[in-house]
Amino acid sequence: MDTPQIQSPLIPRYCTIVPPYLLTRLAQLADPKFARAAAAARDSLLRDSRIRRLRDGAHPLAHPGARSLPTRTPGESDRTISDAGGLERLPGRQVRTEGQPAGTDPAVTESYDSLGATQAMYWNQFGRDSIDNGGMPMDATVHYGQKYDNAFWDGERMVFGDGDGQVFNRFTISPSVIGHELTHGVTQFTANLKYQGQSGALNESISDVFGALVEQNLRGQSTSAASWLIGEGLFTEQVEGIALRSMKAPGTAYNDDVLGKDPQPDSMAGYVETDDDNGGVHLNSGIPNRAFYLVAEAIGGNAWKTPGRIWYETLTGTALRPQSDFAAFAAATADTAARLYGNGSTAHDAVLRAWATVGVVAAVPSPSPSTIGTPSAPGISLPPAYSTPLVDPLTPPPSGPQRGPIAGQPGG
Amino acid sequence: MKVIVSRSGGMAGIRLTWEVRVEEQPDPAIWADFLDSLPWDDVTDSVATVDRFAYRIRCAPHEVVLAEPEVNGPWRDLVNRVKAANGM
Repeated sequence: MDTPQIQSPLIPRYCTIVPPYLLTRLAQLADPKFARAAAAARDSLLRDSRIRRLRDGAHPLAHPGARSLPTRTPGESDRTISDAGGLERLPGRQVRTEGQPAGTDPAVTESYDSLGATQAMYWNQFGRDSIDNGGMPMDATVHYGQKYDNAFWDGERMVFGDGDGQVFNRFTISPSVIGHELTHGVTQFTANLKYQGQSGALNESISDVFGALVEQNLRGQSTSAASWLIGEGLFTEQVEGIALRSMKAPGTAYNDDVLGKDPQPDSMAGYVETDDDNGGVHLNSGIPNRAFYLVAEAIGGNAWKTPGRIWYETLTGTALRPQSDFAAFAAATADTAARLYGNGSTAHDAVLRAWATVGVVAAVPSPSPSTIGTPSAPGISLPPAYSTPLVDPLTPPPSGPQRGPIAGQPGG
Repeated sequence: MKVIVSRSGGMAGIRLTWEVRVEEQPDPAIWADFLDSLPWDDVTDSVATVDRFAYRIRCAPHEVVLAEPEVNGPWRDLVNRVKAANGM
């Protein structure tokens, strides 16, 4: 997202309807001539934070004993790391809280740092204040279980195993894994995609997308420089593999005697029908993962900007339902791209082409040579087959329960 | 008699399978008694949990699918025994 164009230093009181990501930018303006604007934006963020908490009745803070810092400024991290000591009991012994210096345990340091990186990415790029957008504390437990080969979000906290040392290293080693897990929390508080079949694969893919963005944002990597790997470094040296998944080339992350070959499909032609893994949620997520990569590749630059914004606004908007499938998600992202960047814009075109490439929607006509690799100029006409949003913007979404704290708010 | 434990899901989404032929174990009678004692018919549908493992356990004519939080007591014992028999 580009820096918003400030037309006037006078910001009226209607800034409560300004998307949080813009308020965030405004609140950070240091130029004295925008002092009033920055102050108004900060006030609005504080007020919105309280409103969001009230609006979140359907998603109360997950822990009954959840704390919130009385003087906490929106966007600030509030992290607590606990140590399960090899047991499978949560939360474990508290070992580091917000602001305390790093100790000698790498799992504690890595989890603390990556929780912070995740909070920073969501706040700075999307104006989202923690998992629930209401400043929910970020809690994690490390050293869960014995040789435990997993990391998961349990609805309240992130939990990390140490790995078995043969196949897996400790699960805190990868920022993309930590971003992935926290994003399950974000999905829980927003679209709440059902963890089964295609909606479950979307749930997984969204976690991979924002997990990758957390890592890229942390490292300042562009789309072309990034690895697009999820869980890089997680395998020990004994494994023939570079990561758990590749968003750029699903199905190529590993090929090992013990683990077999990475089974992720990269298009609907390879869609896996299975009863295992809740209907293959970790397998078929390769399809929307690649769609996101293709959008990022087409647009270029930093993927957390335009591509990330399209996905974030879709996740937190009103178009998705808990059982949305790939086609519904494709339509929703195309609609979001058209709404944010214009019908027929480069972003809109990239989204349509990506979903067509992975076989979720019908193929779109090839662009004329003059439009390849060039930004779409305002008013440019695309062929009818892909110049119309897949979702009619005049058709209201089906009625349903209030889902997320920012449903319907662009930029929230 | 064969016991197959297949673990799928987890954050990694990698499926691993461990298998035991009871008659090839040093204590087949104990294995058989243990397998008979398992509450095969008491298993209800599992609730999907984000990034947790799911275990499919087969021992003809039985087959159950357990979410990770449900792998407790005798089921935990079975999974550990089968993995141990496979050197895990």
